[in-house]
Amino acid sequence: MSRGGSGVLAPGWGRAFFGLAITAITLLMIFPVAWMVLTAFRPASGVFYVHRGIEFTLGNFAEALAKPEMQASFVNSGVIATLATVFSLAVTITSGYMLSRFRGAASSVWFGLIYLFRCIPYITWVIPLYLLTQWMGILDTYLGLLLPHISIHICFFSWIMKGFFDGISPEMEYAAYIDGCSHWGAFFRVALPLAVPGIVALFILSWLYTWNEFLFALILTGSRTPMLTVRMAQFVNETGIEWHLMAATAVMAIGPALVVTIFAQEYVVKGLRL
Amino acid sequence: MKGSRRRFGARERFMLVLILPAFAILVAFQIVPILIGANASFRSWSLFDPQKTFVGLANYRRILADPIFYGTVLPNTLVFMVGSVTGGLVAGLGLATMLNRKFPGARLVRVGILLPLMVPPVVAAIMITWMFNDQFGVVNALLGTLGLEPVPWLVYRWTSFAIVVMTDVWLWTPWFTVLILAALQSLPLEPHEAARIDGAGPWQVFRNITLPLLRPVLMVCIVVRAIDAFRVFDIVWTITKGGPARSTEVFSIYAYKQAFVYLNFDLGTAASLIGAAIIMVVGGVLYKTLSYVVEVSR
Repeated sequence: MSRGGSGVLAPGWGRAFFGLAITAITLLMIFPVAWMVLTAFRPASGVFYVHRGIEFTLGNFAEALAKPEMQASFVNSGVIATLATVFSLAVTITSGYMLSRFRGAASSVWFGLIYLFRCIPYITWVIPLYLLTQWMGILDTYLGLLLPHISIHICFFSWIMKGFFDGISPEMEYAAYIDGCSHWGAFFRVALPLAVPGIVALFILSWLYTWNEFLFALILTGSRTPMLTVRMAQFVNETGIEWHLMAATAVMAIGPALVVTIFAQEYVVKGLRL
Repeated sequence: MKGSRRRFGARERFMLVLILPAFAILVAFQIVPILIGANASFRSWSLFDPQKTFVGLANYRRILADPIFYGTVLPNTLVFMVGSVTGGLVAGLGLATMLNRKFPGARLVRVGILLPLMVPPVVAAIMITWMFNDQFGVVNALLGTLGLEPVPWLVYRWTSFAIVVMTDVWLWTPWFTVLILAALQSLPLEPHEAARIDGAGPWQVFRNITLPLLRPVLMVCIVVRAIDAFRVFDIVWTITKGGPARSTEVFSIYAYKQAFVYLNFDLGTAASLIGAAIIMVVGGVLYKTLSYVVEVSR
């Protein structure tokens, strides 16, 4: 169903112009990533003249991964992203369900809180979080990063989950009540299964957000739990950057994003539509 | 009567249990830290003062009197916010309009356009830094091919700043596109058809029918992105670190540096709370203004 139409120009020219424009924009959007991928396959000597020369190698990936700290940071980022996503979804699914199904004082106060804290800049609570996790003795440990990471998206995800549940008619749950189902029974057996597509979408988004996150990782971790994004940012600021290794690491860091964009695009779009 | 009251109690209990875990985490890791920060901002809280003397508003006064804060940091943050939101909005609106029709290869184009959204901002920043590298970057190589002098992009304030804004626009255009495209696809067809039958050109239809119908979505996009753009940290930190000579510092970088580079926790927390207050006001005003605009245009 085309609605645009190309009234001003003759149809042929209009279509040609459109094709050209959309191709140019798409190329522009993928160019930085494509250039990084190209750089990653160039040998160290060829990296400064990426556009010239035809030698390609896989050695950069092996060399970048050979550093134990790099291996650790990939593992750490993966572990934290997975755990934080699981816990964060577990608490926001119920919170979103409550916001969607119940009206009244408790519901509007909770919604107000979520809205308010969604607006507060991360830096405002991450600076004192350093003091708090230090005092708790969990600074620079998995726990010290995991707990704050669960909290980051509480507000945003409760909001999105509310939207998902709003899209599911509560009629089925009422029917379940009449059949003698408890509140929990109706939630687990009726509402939750219907929300699975939304939960999958949010799982993917949450995992990527946590994998990509930088500020919390920068402040709350150190040498004991290196995180991928922090390691990469340090790379840039070291003198004499090894661009070929940098590019190889970057390509591996984009890996999950590439997989998701190509294979799970529909889910991501669904998750973003609020 | 008794039975119905018990059911009401169970319902209340169910509600509370549903939000309790999320609420507990919110309190422990967001509200408590903010209170700790507020406490620190009223004290002399540096490594050299183990007493942590209460100093009232002195820290706030020092931040507000710092020429870097009001002369560089705040203008930068606001310019970044406006530039990033405007850029993303215009690009997203254009792209969504283009994608809102069937054409061969649409799926491929959608994958390409969605990609930046998934890329870690730090990695995006690194890619851009590499492209704009003064000696070996592809941008200067391209300029060389055209016979132009290479430009040391990250040495000057405004070129650095433009690169940072551009990176943010690149990262967030897909988000605008997805949301606006979803809204476009759910618009009613009748007004468009009526206007076309009345002889309106595509631009007139877009300007007078599509755009007003899109206003509620555009408003949400603007408010949400403005609040997020205000707290930008990762790409600025990776591309410029606030340099050259602190000239591209934004609010989050300023607060971070106060706390973790100059080790003044008191000044860092005070600055971060001033920023939070500003974004609350700006966000509130933006929301009210835009709601008003949407109401009036209906």
